[in-house]
Amino acid sequence: MGKIHVVTDSGSDLSLEVKERLGIHVVPLTVQFGSEIFKDGEEMSTSEFYTRLKNEIEMPSTCQPSSADFVAMYEKIAQPGDTIISVHMSSKMSGTYQSAVLASTMLDSSVTVKVVDSKAASMGLGLVAVTAAQGVQAGKELDEILSDVQHTIDHLQVYFVVDTLEFLKKNGRIGMASALVGTMLSIKPILTLVDGEVAPFEKIRGKAKALKRVRELVVEFQEKFPEKKIRAAMSHATTSEEATQIAEALSRILPLEGEVLIGEIGPTIGVHTGPGVIALFLFAM
Amino acid sequence: MDVINGVTLRNMLLVAARNLDQQKDIVNALNVFPVPDGDTGTNMSLTLNAAVKELERAENNEVGRLTTLLARGSLMGARGNSGVILSQFFRGFSDGLAHVKGEATGEDIAHAFDSASKTTYRAVMKPVEGTMLTVARVAAEAAEEAAEEGADASAVIKAALLGAQKSLADTPNILPVLKEAGVVDAGGQGLVCIFEGFWAGLTTSPEEMEEILAEQGTPEKEAVDFSRLGEEVLVNKYCTEFIILGEGIDPERIRAELESKGDSMIVVGDEYVTKVHIHTDHPGQVLQFCGDLGNLTEIAIDNMMLQNQEFAHHSDNHRLDYAIDNVVGFPGVAEHSAAPKGVGIVAVVAGAGLADIFRSLGVDSVVTGGQTMNPSTEDLVTAVNSVHAESVIILPNNKNVIFSAQQVKELVDKKVGVVPTRSAPQGISALMYFVEDDSLEENVAAMESGMGEVKTGEVTYAVRSTVAGDLQIEERDIIGLAEGKIAVVGSSPDDVARDLLRTMVDDESTVISVYYGADQMAEEAEDLSATLQEEYSHCEVEVYPGGQPLYYYIVSVE
Repeated sequence: MGKIHVVTDSGSDLSLEVKERLGIHVVPLTVQFGSEIFKDGEEMSTSEFYTRLKNEIEMPSTCQPSSADFVAMYEKIAQPGDTIISVHMSSKMSGTYQSAVLASTMLDSSVTVKVVDSKAASMGLGLVAVTAAQGVQAGKELDEILSDVQHTIDHLQVYFVVDTLEFLKKNGRIGMASALVGTMLSIKPILTLVDGEVAPFEKIRGKAKALKRVRELVVEFQEKFPEKKIRAAMSHATTSEEATQIAEALSRILPLEGEVLIGEIGPTIGVHTGPGVIALFLFAM
Repeated sequence: MDVINGVTLRNMLLVAARNLDQQKDIVNALNVFPVPDGDTGTNMSLTLNAAVKELERAENNEVGRLTTLLARGSLMGARGNSGVILSQFFRGFSDGLAHVKGEATGEDIAHAFDSASKTTYRAVMKPVEGTMLTVARVAAEAAEEAAEEGADASAVIKAALLGAQKSLADTPNILPVLKEAGVVDAGGQGLVCIFEGFWAGLTTSPEEMEEILAEQGTPEKEAVDFSRLGEEVLVNKYCTEFIILGEGIDPERIRAELESKGDSMIVVGDEYVTKVHIHTDHPGQVLQFCGDLGNLTEIAIDNMMLQNQEFAHHSDNHRLDYAIDNVVGFPGVAEHSAAPKGVGIVAVVAGAGLADIFRSLGVDSVVTGGQTMNPSTEDLVTAVNSVHAESVIILPNNKNVIFSAQQVKELVDKKVGVVPTRSAPQGISALMYFVEDDSLEENVAAMESGMGEVKTGEVTYAVRSTVAGDLQIEERDIIGLAEGKIAVVGSSPDDVARDLLRTMVDDESTVISVYYGADQMAEEAEDLSATLQEEYSHCEVEVYPGGQPLYYYIVSVE
């Protein structure tokens, strides 16, 4: 019986500490500023990225890892007889999942790769990867781990607030929230993910009010699952103080399973959301 | 005069309309609230004018035919709360005379006044005594009494007039706010003007009637359209109006044919006489089509773009630029080829900037008005019909428009919901809760609760001296209203805005929005917002050009 490995991509925004502690492997996407190309997290740090994002006129773009990148990762970590759970960003937002699926067919049959579409991004994807890795650490069977992973994907509730819709729009990731673009007022919409796509949840004026509303939504979420423990994660871009405050508030109001995982939104996601993002991910165990 | 025939009835109405028109400024001056908007006299006068204009379409002088037209005309022409109540008065009056074949006796007239009074009471959800309702009721009671004593028609009308006058004088004793302000009720005064006109109309000589009719022919008939031109997007620049005379005219077919030729279309009439009003870029095609259906008369074609330039130039140089910039790519221009959407929105807004904000939030049709001129029920009906949706939500954004908006429900085939917003910020706040895929009912409920999340402040000037609580206010003073109540008084709009916000902002506040009016400079508004941001560091302060007339600033706190 071989080992089970967990692989994700840089769209998961997991902190280095979590990745190391749980043994999660990350395949980076590449970020392109003009003609310069960087591997997320390896050749460009998050703080460098936001500085450049602020100063450059041209919008950066991202590029999914090639199948060869995945093959290289899979071959590096797996021995014959091993299994890999490879979880990735929503296939509606990125071609990363497709690359991984293709890569899985290119390996020789001694290694099994289960490629999973998380239908999420950032710490939502992070939570799915963490669920898988914790299952592995707990010595669970593959089927049980995959069923836990599916449960997380199916029950994940996402709320996020962006400073501006401009980045989502310019990069074509705005999904069903496109109706919000073009409003003349500065609206801080609360967005969500519906079936792997960005969708508007509520229109709110002012960030403070939006964050207050997110807190209310957390309470509403908990009321829906009165008996259950709740898993929570947050991610943020250049707003770690706000994120920490909200995380503290969450641990006061929610019966949490473990701590609130906080991730900083890296270049892969940051290209599409810009600075000033606060995102919250919840699911009932 | 023992009995009243159709000719006399028509005279009475025409004289009443003229009398009210002449007295409207006096009625306007009676508004308890010294702010420059929603004038009762103007609203009632325009409503009655629309009603008597409709009488022109009567092919005979049968009492029943005249009163039917009167009821319909006042209903469609109703503006503001007082106009809506007046239209209900005429509806009841018309119902009361419905059974009259040739001539109305004193008893018939008394019965009609009674029916008029009862209908106005029924139209108001919470009738308040000391208003025009009371005046209508007391007049009806006096008429009833006279009729019971066997008075003839003219004596009944005289009794009604005397009753109305007596009741009007008594209104300050019934309603304390009137006594405080030292006025009688404005709507009641308007109604007395109408009774006076009825009385005078009984004895007006044929020569005088000629004169009145001549005046009637030249009313400021496009007054509403004119005021709105600065802000509307003029894709259809020719205001085209005419009457078709013929046989077997089918207004429905005309509507269907002309719909694609322009906007603001109104086609009213029957198989013999039909009036057409449309804003179009192709007046020739419109005339050609309708000319084939009958004889065209009273043809009037105005170039609104040219009128508009003049108007916009006088009021605000930016407005026209705005209008022209927006001709291209204006999303509100109906694309009727597409399937209708579920729920559309009509909003009543004054000011080009605010209109633009409302459109950007998904409003399909903006009706100009609220602060200066209250839109008529017909304006709202036209807007609702122009929206390509199965059901429509109306945001009145003014307390004096809510009632008219509710009237629309019965006048259109679409399902209509009214979210009773009393200010533009309330309307904006309500729009945050609009979800296109939800049903009309769900949206109305969500928007109604959402509109309460914002506090509205307004900075304007006092149109007359008054006392409001502890505040002594002189005419032309700058006043600040919080949620519609006078809260501060001063001499500079900026200072008043700052003082006003001090009464509105608290620790829980997160966003302060400043919408500056047509007469304010952007720099001034920016300076104001900078000092506000300093004072309220815990809030986000946002400033937008509202372009509203008369109100230097509209502010909101949420």
